[in-house]
Amino acid sequence: MNGELKIVLGRRYRFAASHRLHSEDLSPEENSRVYGKCNNPYGHGHNYVVEISVSGNVDPATGMIANLTDLDGYVEREVIEPFDHKSLNEDVAVFRERVPTTENVCIEIYQRLKHFPQARLERVRVEETGNNSFEYAGEEI
Amino acid sequence: MAMVYLTRKIEFSASHLYHNPALSAEENKRIFGKCNNPYGHGHNYALEVTVAGEPDPLTGMVLDLKELKEILEREITQRMDHRFLNYEVAELKGEIPTCENMARVIWNLLEPKIHQGRLFKVRLYETPDLFAECYRNGAARA
Repeated sequence: MNGELKIVLGRRYRFAASHRLHSEDLSPEENSRVYGKCNNPYGHGHNYVVEISVSGNVDPATGMIANLTDLDGYVEREVIEPFDHKSLNEDVAVFRERVPTTENVCIEIYQRLKHFPQARLERVRVEETGNNSFEYAGEEI
Repeated sequence: MAMVYLTRKIEFSASHLYHNPALSAEENKRIFGKCNNPYGHGHNYALEVTVAGEPDPLTGMVLDLKELKEILEREITQRMDHRFLNYEVAELKGEIPTCENMARVIWNLLEPKIHQGRLFKVRLYETPDLFAECYRNGAARA
């Protein structure tokens, strides 16, 4: 009740990309059983929504935690540009080794944004479709 | 304790502009961009207000939604709906009416009015893609 007031700024972005869920460690039958339709060798795509939450002091001169131009530019450069209209498996290096489930996409986006200089990254939420979403807020301490 | 979180959403439309008189015209333009247009511009705001509490054993309610609706109507809608936020909302005088500042002002308006349960969080959407939240540190759930 007596904690200080905390302000968090949230922003949503979008990208469209394809992926295929397939693990080299599993047999073709197991891949098919585990990933179902998502194991289709040609891949498939989604319109992803990325919701970023950042916190920090609200600058009295600007009324802002972070200037949106800076935040948008950072997210655009680190996430949207490398992911949008790409094959996550082929075009994003980390997903050559790791299955691009939306859990892993969410963690990867968090890693790419956690050093945003103007504010503290609180969490990343990724909607794979309107019905599935995933959140990551860094490692539990 | 069976803590329950109840959220009520309202919408209001208002105009605003971002301008800091302590800064030069060029700096205002650089920092605030289009939001610095002196005639202002507007948004359809959406406000989500979350109250936490244990349901009253007699009524099964954290608080009476009718009462919350009236508080929101009186404190927020009547104060902000179809207003120019910079000039017509006393609590925002001297403040830049960003989402961050408005979330704090809304928190401060609502917290003392809610007597059943306690105000847990306000989330104010300026557009569907931009929002600010205000809550007390340490109170947030995952």
